[in-house]
Amino acid sequence: MLCLGIESTAHTFGCSVVESKGKVLSDERDVYKAPEGSGIHPRDASRHHMEACSAVLRQSLLSAGVSMKDIDIVGYSAGPGLGPCLRVGAVAARTLAGFYKKPLVPVNHALGHLELGAMLTDATDPLVLLVSGGHTMILAFSHGRWRVFGETLDITVGQLLDQFGRTLGFASPCGGRIEQLAVQSAGKYMQLPYIVKGNDVSFSGLLTAVTKLASEGVEATDTCYSLQETAFAMLAEAVERALSFTGKKEMMIVGGVAANKRLAQMLEAACGRQGSKLFVCPLKFAGDNGAQIAWTAIQQYQDTKKQIKVEKSFVQQSWRLDTVDVSWRR
Amino acid sequence: MKRGAEADIYLVEWGGKKAVSKVRTPKPYRHQELDSAIRKHRTVHEANFMSTAKAAGVTTPFVHFVDPVKAEIIMDFVEGENVRVGITPDLCYEMGRYAAMLHANTIIHGDLTTSNFIANKKLVLLDFGLSYYSERIEDLATDIRLIKEVFTSAHIVVKKAFPRFVQGYASIAGRKRTDKILENVREIEQRGRYARVT
Repeated sequence: MLCLGIESTAHTFGCSVVESKGKVLSDERDVYKAPEGSGIHPRDASRHHMEACSAVLRQSLLSAGVSMKDIDIVGYSAGPGLGPCLRVGAVAARTLAGFYKKPLVPVNHALGHLELGAMLTDATDPLVLLVSGGHTMILAFSHGRWRVFGETLDITVGQLLDQFGRTLGFASPCGGRIEQLAVQSAGKYMQLPYIVKGNDVSFSGLLTAVTKLASEGVEATDTCYSLQETAFAMLAEAVERALSFTGKKEMMIVGGVAANKRLAQMLEAACGRQGSKLFVCPLKFAGDNGAQIAWTAIQQYQDTKKQIKVEKSFVQQSWRLDTVDVSWRR
Repeated sequence: MKRGAEADIYLVEWGGKKAVSKVRTPKPYRHQELDSAIRKHRTVHEANFMSTAKAAGVTTPFVHFVDPVKAEIIMDFVEGENVRVGITPDLCYEMGRYAAMLHANTIIHGDLTTSNFIANKKLVLLDFGLSYYSERIEDLATDIRLIKEVFTSAHIVVKKAFPRFVQGYASIAGRKRTDKILENVREIEQRGRYARVT
């Protein structure tokens, strides 16, 4: 069985063909680039997706060596994300499903990160840290759903990095640039708010404080360094608490911020202390992509045979992962 | 004896009796300055709050000795089963009472989770490292939201857990005040990422 997955929650428009055993036959993307110093403008990003759509789609079929006739189901990311962006992917998916008479399957984008990550890393029952622009959550699977063991109480770690990066004049996503600057620091740590509440974290005060430091003329390398050290230590502590509580022997990190080496290094140490094995989602699939949608859609469809009629298909800007039933996972 | 999330627990002897040494060992992944500040701060806080919580009517282990530099606390050894393992609706009621007693004395526990309770003849509450003083409804609600999160993730099968907790809480704090705090809990939840506003 082959599935075409369409991803368009935020800056990435992606299409991918995945086979039911988990082989990723193609993974094509076109990423909207925000102007320097600004974030994703939903209108501009959705316009980008519309323009990129047909080329990305064509290329994903071409790279996989298949045509639409060979595709068995069409999956699309139905949320959570930016409304205008989600609608572009949904329109593409509806059109294909309607015209070629293929089952249409809506997928929760965050679930896609987890399921693809688990498939690629062979983690069987992990505690998961999902860190991206949209999410900062600690999850574990229990009784039919991914349950939230900890999360951010305000902004996500991706937003923290992006919003601070933008004040330095970068364009979102800024995580990579901040990491580069942090590495160049001599290791001068400036004290910043460190907020851990049980398994939960809060980043808004940290953002205010680090922005203030930068406005006072502290070297960007030092602010970036201190920001990373504080924010990631908070995450590592929250993870360690959740590991100790759940006793999970596997830990997986997924989402765009999973690409950060310093974060992975800290989590490695935290896992070591708790006797757990760390699985890092391969860099190429850490960020948003079509394969996460295709892979989740195919599992969902194979297990439940559930599809959605084109006229009933939807997008949801707000759609929490812990409200999604996952029947195929034990 | 056990490695916790932030401290190592050793079984020791104090004055000829069984006791526990809780040492917040350095976390090598954390910047050294940040790490030592956190460990010292939490150790001192924990020891203080364990004593003040007693005055509020909450059973906590007796503190024998505190070393802020080594980040070590020596306290009574508590027999009994961890509530994370042996959770029952009645224990949830008792946990609710404890939370309300702390809150009545402006103590926010900061880490209300089932693994920090031990069921003995009496319920014993541990781990005050994240505790602080506050009277703000928001802070009380944050405390309650945390245990609610624990109930709905780790203990999803214990359906009555949170309702029983709330009953226990209301038995001390009163229905009106409890409802006000619960309203604030909902507010915090709605602030959560991708929460549906209902």
